Amino acid sequence: MNSYQRVMNTLSGRAVDRPPVFAVLGAYGAKLTGTDPRTLYSDASAYVAGQKALQAEFGFDLVMTAFDYSALAEAFGGETAWSAVQAPNMKRPAAGSAAQALALPLPDPGQTGRLPVILDATRQLASVYKKNVPIISVLPGPCIMPALLMGLENWMETVLFHKDIALKLLRHTGVFFVDWANALLAAGADCLVVTESMASSDIATRALFTQQFLPHLTETFARIDGPKVLHHSGGRLNQNLDLLPGLDGLVGVTVSSKDDLTQARQSLGPDLTLIGNLDNLTLPEVTAAELFDMSLARLRIAAPCGHYILCNSAADIPLTTPTVNLRAMLAAAVAYSTGVGCGR
Amino acid sequence: MNIADFSDQLLTAMINADRAGAADIIECAVAAGVDPPRVIAHILDPAIVSLGRLWEGEAISLAQGFVASKIAEDALLRCLPVGGVHQHTKGAVVIGNIEDDFHSLGRRTVGLFLTAAGWDVYDLGNDVPAEQFLKKALEVNACVIGASAMMQTTALNIRRLRRLIDARGLRDRIKLAVGGAVFNWRPELVAEVGGDGTAHNAVGADQLFIRLQSQVKREVAQ
Repeated sequence: MNSYQRVMNTLSGRAVDRPPVFAVLGAYGAKLTGTDPRTLYSDASAYVAGQKALQAEFGFDLVMTAFDYSALAEAFGGETAWSAVQAPNMKRPAAGSAAQALALPLPDPGQTGRLPVILDATRQLASVYKKNVPIISVLPGPCIMPALLMGLENWMETVLFHKDIALKLLRHTGVFFVDWANALLAAGADCLVVTESMASSDIATRALFTQQFLPHLTETFARIDGPKVLHHSGGRLNQNLDLLPGLDGLVGVTVSSKDDLTQARQSLGPDLTLIGNLDNLTLPEVTAAELFDMSLARLRIAAPCGHYILCNSAADIPLTTPTVNLRAMLAAAVAYSTGVGCGR
Repeated sequence: MNIADFSDQLLTAMINADRAGAADIIECAVAAGVDPPRVIAHILDPAIVSLGRLWEGEAISLAQGFVASKIAEDALLRCLPVGGVHQHTKGAVVIGNIEDDFHSLGRRTVGLFLTAAGWDVYDLGNDVPAEQFLKKALEVNACVIGASAMMQTTALNIRRLRRLIDARGLRDRIKLAVGGAVFNWRPELVAEVGGDGTAHNAVGADQLFIRLQSQVKREVAQ
């Protein structure tokens, strides 16, 4: 069974030889290939070389296109902060107000800034891995997207105090969200991972999510023709999980390390795949044996009923994470599937 | 209605993210004869403290905290004398996001709550080099520098500020408060970057800064 079959079987609830395992590794590819992050995130071939190096080193069950939202902020006119030791960040958004954000032209996925680089990398990954290792593309959710144009503070202010303008902005950026998502799928992504901060109870109340964001999420998802995973984006998701089944094309949910897996399964129902729950920041701090145990604990809770992918929560794992730790995650899945880790 | 009732109502407005309702409550209190300094001390401040307890218990979202900080800002603008200065300030503090960090919302919220609590806040913004933090702190005679970072990679840049403070022999005179999402997820990072303390949320910053200020006073007196 190759990774593609393993993941697809997991998503559809069929039998697998072992649960799939993934670690969010973008900048880590640069570490393996000796490339600086700026080159990695500006050159499609450099990025693909990083993913190939990761596959050769670990053989995780997914490959990922660039988890780099600065490219989107930049495409709208924002400024990027480059670092030698981490993925780039948005330094300055394009707009200083909601009115300015509404006036910004929407980027063309095939033409603007570094967006074509991400699409080119997706095509290259597809040419190498299609049907062998699933290709996932990560993109910001439609409800947090306006923050990339105007900064989180301005977006929160608009959401909370100027609801009509917030709705206009959601509609405005929603067009780009759908275009970008469909462009990634057309370039070869097998599944989209949508990081939606506004679905997290750490960011928004359930009422705010239900009233202002869920309708937009529902509407935009319906216009994207491909499977999607909703990602917790750093905050807890459990409080809103029961609201997610039924979203068009939703095949899974990535929960945070603070979410309870048992409760998550109860809230989400039996048919969607749960992903994650390993704490990102812990990965470099623990020994490989400890990470093996932590991984096994998650598998024992979430894997027996299928529909579970062992993965770290949040974004790129710290570059200081030892390779033996990453291998321990895979070893735990093997041990679990052979019964060694099942307590049998 | 007594003053405690006003405060309870204000807390409810904060939890419900009801900025307009909160403004009405402040107006009602002033109209009922509560003078502006007492509005701050006996209505706004207790509401913020109660909000902080709820936040500590993870019962408050960022959105609610953000609205609460706006409510605090509104109340201060309504109640402070022209010029916006408290009658009795707690002292000067310098805050900012450390070099390479651009996540400003938490820091801005901290700044609003610290201002509401009576501190003279000098907010240096995002991506602040260690030297700039220290230069400003010396210029305004601040006893606490608050350095914010959202991610582990940027949080580690705070170590440079720690080393700079120590190298200049100012460890006893200027305390280093650290904060941001990553410190809540990994409390041990506070010591790792050389922080003298942290608060789990924006409301808790006031108590932290008071504690650090009193440490400075004790250590300078010795």
